[in-house]
Amino acid sequence: MTIAMTTSVTTSITPPSVTTARANSTGPVLNARDLSLGFGHTTVLAGVELALYPREFVAVVGASGVGKSTLLRALAGLLAPQTGEVDIPAGKEDGTRAWSMVFQASRLFPWRRVRANVELGLEGLGLSRAERRERAMQPLTLVGLDAYADRWPHTLSGGQQQRVGIARALAVRPRVLFMDEPFASLDAITRRRLQQELIALRQRTEAAIVFVTHDIEEAVLLADRVMILGNQEAGQPARVVETLSVNLPLDERRDLPDFAPLVQRVEAIIGNH
Amino acid sequence: MNPTMTRSRRSLLSAAGLVAFVLLWELALRSGLLPGSLVPLPSSIPQVFWYELIDGIWLDVVRSSLVHYSVGLLLGSSLGITVGVAAALLPRFDALHAWLARLLRPIPPLAWIPFAIIWFGINPSAAAFIISIGVFWINYFASYSAVHSIDPSFDEVAQAFGQRRFLSRLTKVNLPAAAPGILGGLRAGLGQGWMTVVAAELFGIPGIGQRMMEASSLLATDIVVVYMLTIAGLYALFDFLFMLIQRRLLRWQP
Repeated sequence: MTIAMTTSVTTSITPPSVTTARANSTGPVLNARDLSLGFGHTTVLAGVELALYPREFVAVVGASGVGKSTLLRALAGLLAPQTGEVDIPAGKEDGTRAWSMVFQASRLFPWRRVRANVELGLEGLGLSRAERRERAMQPLTLVGLDAYADRWPHTLSGGQQQRVGIARALAVRPRVLFMDEPFASLDAITRRRLQQELIALRQRTEAAIVFVTHDIEEAVLLADRVMILGNQEAGQPARVVETLSVNLPLDERRDLPDFAPLVQRVEAIIGNH
Repeated sequence: MNPTMTRSRRSLLSAAGLVAFVLLWELALRSGLLPGSLVPLPSSIPQVFWYELIDGIWLDVVRSSLVHYSVGLLLGSSLGITVGVAAALLPRFDALHAWLARLLRPIPPLAWIPFAIIWFGINPSAAAFIISIGVFWINYFASYSAVHSIDPSFDEVAQAFGQRRFLSRLTKVNLPAAAPGILGGLRAGLGQGWMTVVAAELFGIPGIGQRMMEASSLLATDIVVVYMLTIAGLYALFDFLFMLIQRRLLRWQP
């Protein structure tokens, strides 16, 4: 059963206590069973199981080339898996999409102004022009770029462009948000700032997040669970070698005594595979 | 080009070059170095132009040529862009017409004159048809390669944001992303079409080309030069206007 939204209430900034009360937010928002991926007759990744619940944050780490981004695309349905299936129950709410994605390079459409870029996912959802505009301005305000709505993307810095990419993904009020190394191409200072912003943003969105990164510290900093991909045997497809829960409070996590040992542990696991 | 040269200085030099050329031409004729039967006196051109103008001939032939030109351009461009974009997006259509295109492409527009006359007769349609052929191929290849070289990651973005239908992807990704290339083709076609106009009129369809043939059969080289300058002037005008449109449409580019 679902509760239809009767007004254009801003779900993205409603307090968690209200949003979690929705009837359809109790089951998993993503369910992947026995997923294996590859090209032609080669399997690069096998046996992936993942159940993701609302507001949960899972980081996927592993050596480069292990298939992190491929896994993300398969979870999103952009790639067909060799075996297994992914289920992302459709949100029944009008004007939303089940999932959306933030890419490594922001991949904004250069021929659209900032606001029109954020509106992309809202097109074809039966919203009026005014509704689309309003729905685009909310996440733009959330990432602090409402004043840039009428700018062309190329006039923005890399960090600002990535914020627009995040706003574009949030605008459709996804139940699952896929993030593919979103901060990898940013400089260190901007990356830190956006990591902090993402932590703050999690209080304001009910989306579950799957976050691919090669930066282990970033994974431990942001995630509730860190899923580690690796090769157990040479020549065999990669698997999920371990999934660690990060039971640390999100605020100032980096300063906690348990933070560094956890990062080292994940590094050690990756090093062994 | 010397990078330290300012723009105004460059324009000044260009103007000086042009004036020097005309002066030398005039001097060569007046000194008898160049026989007057070969080329007209530059100083006689304004007056000849004035006569053509007050006789109403200039306006008549320019108007006819512009009709041939615009119909040919419109037809050739729209078909060329449509077929080029379709070929780049639909692999089956691409394969189906690939050899046909390779066969027809090298045939120059003027080689179609016999068929133009048989199909349309000696009338404006025939001229427009011939003009459209050259314009078609330019736009066809420009659009084809523009759509072909679109960064595929844009398509993934469109997919990730629910824009999966062919028409959505066409209008939201393919056409805007290919716009710089398509507009470049249009602009090239604008020039190519104008160059074909004269040739397409040489076999008797009223227009600038026919007037030039008439004049040359009377050895009226001054009239020929008037229309050569007319062609150059009109092309410069069209190209300038199109450049304004192009700049406006592509203002998103850095």
